[in-house]
Amino acid sequence: MDLALLGQYVINGLMLGMMYALVAVGFTLFFGVLDVIKFSHGDVLMVGAFTGYTTFLGLEAAGVHMPVIQIVLLVIASTVLVGLLGAAIAKYLILPLTNAPALNILLATMMLGTVLREAVRLFFPEGSNPKRFPRLLPDTVIPIGGFDLRVDSLMLLIAGVLVIVAIHTVINRTKLGLAIRAVAQDAETARIMGINFELVVLVTFAIGSAAAAVAGVMNGLYYNEINFGMGLLLGVIGFAAAIVGGLGNIYGAILGGFLFAALQTIGAVALPFASAYKDVFAFAVIISIMAWRPTGLIPEKVSERV
Amino acid sequence: MSEAILDCKGVTRRFGGLVALDTLDLQMPRGAILGLIGPNGSGKTTFFNVLTGIYGFSDGAAAFDGRDITAYSSQEVYRAGIARTFQRSRMCLPLSVFDNIMVGNHKRLDHGLWANVFARKKLRKAFEESYEEAHELVKIFDPPLAERMFEPVAGFPMIDRRRIEICRALISHPKLLLLDEPSAGMTHEETRQLMDDILEVRDRIKDLSIIIIEHEMGVIERITDRCIVLNFGRKIAEGTYQDVANDREVQEAYLGAE
Amino acid sequence: MENTQPATAGRQDPTALPIGILAIAGMTVFAAVFLMAESEAAVGGLLAFAAVAVLGAGKLGLLERVRAAFRDHELTMHTAIVIGALAIAWVFREDHFALLMLTMAMLYLTACLGLNVQLGYTGILNFAGSSFLGVGCYTAAVLTQHTAIPPLVILPLGGLMATIVGSVLILPVLRTRGHYAAVVTIAFAVLFKTFLEVNDSLGGPQGLAVGEMTLFGWGFNSNIEIGDFYASFYMNYFLLALVITILAFALTRRIERSWVGLNMDAVRIDELAASCFGINLARWKITAFMLGNFMIGTAGALLGMILGFIAPTNFTFADSLILLSIVLLGGMGSVWGIALASAIIVMLPEKLQLIQEYRFLLFAALVILVLRFRPNGLLPRADRIYFPGWRPR
Repeated sequence: MDLALLGQYVINGLMLGMMYALVAVGFTLFFGVLDVIKFSHGDVLMVGAFTGYTTFLGLEAAGVHMPVIQIVLLVIASTVLVGLLGAAIAKYLILPLTNAPALNILLATMMLGTVLREAVRLFFPEGSNPKRFPRLLPDTVIPIGGFDLRVDSLMLLIAGVLVIVAIHTVINRTKLGLAIRAVAQDAETARIMGINFELVVLVTFAIGSAAAAVAGVMNGLYYNEINFGMGLLLGVIGFAAAIVGGLGNIYGAILGGFLFAALQTIGAVALPFASAYKDVFAFAVIISIMAWRPTGLIPEKVSERV
Repeated sequence: MSEAILDCKGVTRRFGGLVALDTLDLQMPRGAILGLIGPNGSGKTTFFNVLTGIYGFSDGAAAFDGRDITAYSSQEVYRAGIARTFQRSRMCLPLSVFDNIMVGNHKRLDHGLWANVFARKKLRKAFEESYEEAHELVKIFDPPLAERMFEPVAGFPMIDRRRIEICRALISHPKLLLLDEPSAGMTHEETRQLMDDILEVRDRIKDLSIIIIEHEMGVIERITDRCIVLNFGRKIAEGTYQDVANDREVQEAYLGAE
Repeated sequence: MENTQPATAGRQDPTALPIGILAIAGMTVFAAVFLMAESEAAVGGLLAFAAVAVLGAGKLGLLERVRAAFRDHELTMHTAIVIGALAIAWVFREDHFALLMLTMAMLYLTACLGLNVQLGYTGILNFAGSSFLGVGCYTAAVLTQHTAIPPLVILPLGGLMATIVGSVLILPVLRTRGHYAAVVTIAFAVLFKTFLEVNDSLGGPQGLAVGEMTLFGWGFNSNIEIGDFYASFYMNYFLLALVITILAFALTRRIERSWVGLNMDAVRIDELAASCFGINLARWKITAFMLGNFMIGTAGALLGMILGFIAPTNFTFADSLILLSIVLLGGMGSVWGIALASAIIVMLPEKLQLIQEYRFLLFAALVILVLRFRPNGLLPRADRIYFPGWRPR
């Protein structure tokens, strides 16, 4: 295989891994504070992408054509709105269900994902058709040997790293992060210590959902196309990544995200007879990993009281 | 019968760096009632969990009824004849009293898929016999409760749940019964009643040995032959209740040493 | 508590059986009228009527009597329900569409009873229900096209194939818990659909044709014409589906009412306590998973023959969610609740074309409301009765 193709695979794999990791981080954050899986997360991502797209249309209509301003405003609109959406989901669907069996919450949020997906399909103008997401990043390339590195890919990767570093910093270096970790450790004690439990949960859901919105916009900018169903597979993969990495652990989520992207890439490269099987291969490996390490690669610490 | 029903040597359980149970030796004769006491976190429940195969032995060995049960799984321990109750009463709340007791009767029922689905006549006979037996057993503890065998356990108060849980453990005629704080969450009077019932059952089941974990010292004094006191996972005293109650180290463990 | 009389000592209520039979007759008439209703206003009106009737019957204590009738006269009540189903089929004997809907509802019920053994009894979450349905369908497609195996034999083979395919998941399903277990079947559902799409020998995205059911030389895809009598060819499938549904129902019920059902419940509710009383967790999880997949696959094989043509898009993750919604909507472990939910989920969108487009949205919203406000489902599971009519002496 020549360098150009290899480079393309690597960049593509990194890009996918970044998106998966951003989604998986959300799953793991939610699980951390509330021990729940919010399966609608992938569809929240889709809402993020559509919010960005709508903002772009609005700016165009308002006569704002500068790509830099467009992209900044679009990301802000998307993360803020989706952050609020995530907090609202937590407040009105998940918190009232916290005493129900874990399965009920999983299913309720799955159904909420369906509601979001169908709502966009039915109520967004021409919602069932794919939308052309604008190309707002510079389309110049940096030639490296025989391989042309696209500047926009590089910018997206850097942006993804920055978001993850930012989340990591918030969690480990700020007072808010301390509160989140306290709740994750022991919600009851955290409450007694005077931490506003509900506020911490809502903020955590807002942060995780905003990360998904970033992933949604990244997805749009990279592929230049979005559609109402894009969140389902991304959600499934993000969930699988968080689980395989080990729930409740940001590093696990990042590991899982890049692992899944690597599996897909390897599947595409190493199965020359049928690269179409790359997803089949990746999911089969995921299932095998679950059989091998049933609580993920970096297991969460659980102990059952008898 | 002089042979010991349970003979534990150097039983140890470590969780990471924490030694929850430290080289515990314990022998008890057949038919005895042994009290296991000590402050919270002293390793009493851990001992039950190690013995019943929930946690593995980090070290040491246990022989039950002449058999080495050190490596037994929970299921094998039950089959060998050890039944237990749990500190936080683990009942199947949505299921009926009868169902819960039948969970305890597992080893005496036929679980073949074919037999259960197609041999309904035989199943009916087993069901009726089991019902009679469970009914009799519950009646010892509380006759009104025995008339409500097909109501979900979730609808009963704590004392009834404890009774049902003890019946679940007794229905399979175990040789050793492990009671983990049976009086937790009950009033004085209720506790006294429950202990009377337990003693009555013991008189009916030949050679039933009991180990009881209990904080209520009145209970321990009344029903146990011998006591073992644990502190920080180690045995600090053993003897009759009077002996250990007067032991200096035991008093310090409870009142806090200077 | 007002009820001082111990429940087990209650005497039989002589009015229970007649009221129970009347209720079944009423439901039969309602179902027939519902299937006949043409306009959306009529369907809406009927739904409102049903809601009022059920609430009213509840207020008058009639539902309690119906429940008593099922408890004390189960065989009679079951016979009445089968007669009611046959009566409806008779009324609609010439109506392709009505018979197809009824048949589909029964096959969904059979598949969901399989899911119920897994989830409702044993607590195994299976997010790949429609994948195993698909295994049954594709088995039927391949075997009807390429072999001379009698189609009736193909039905259990579809179930067997689903069991075999499912067995690759046994190890991860046994070893994982909770959310970790969910990812196994979710991954499998996505994997399976992708596999069907990229696999050329199974027709790829275009799918495969499935041969018809035949029995003693009688092809099921022919209309029934005997003298003046005429019935839609779907009548064949309706009757066969009815038989299969009855078998699946009886099997599920007998499992529930036995030590096996008790073991499964104990595994679901408290694994640790169950294993402290000798219950072998792996044995019952494997039994439930395989048996459930067998039922789903068998239903799938007949489903394929009825549809005549199958494609990967029939077996998506969303379809698996629909199957799970039926179980939750009806009530986990509640066989009658699942029967009711199957009828609602299969027939309602067909009758209300207005909502056809919105059905995923509405079902999803409906399930959220049920989970939030009625977590035990529309008809919550009743306490286990090992032998109906049995009373302690």
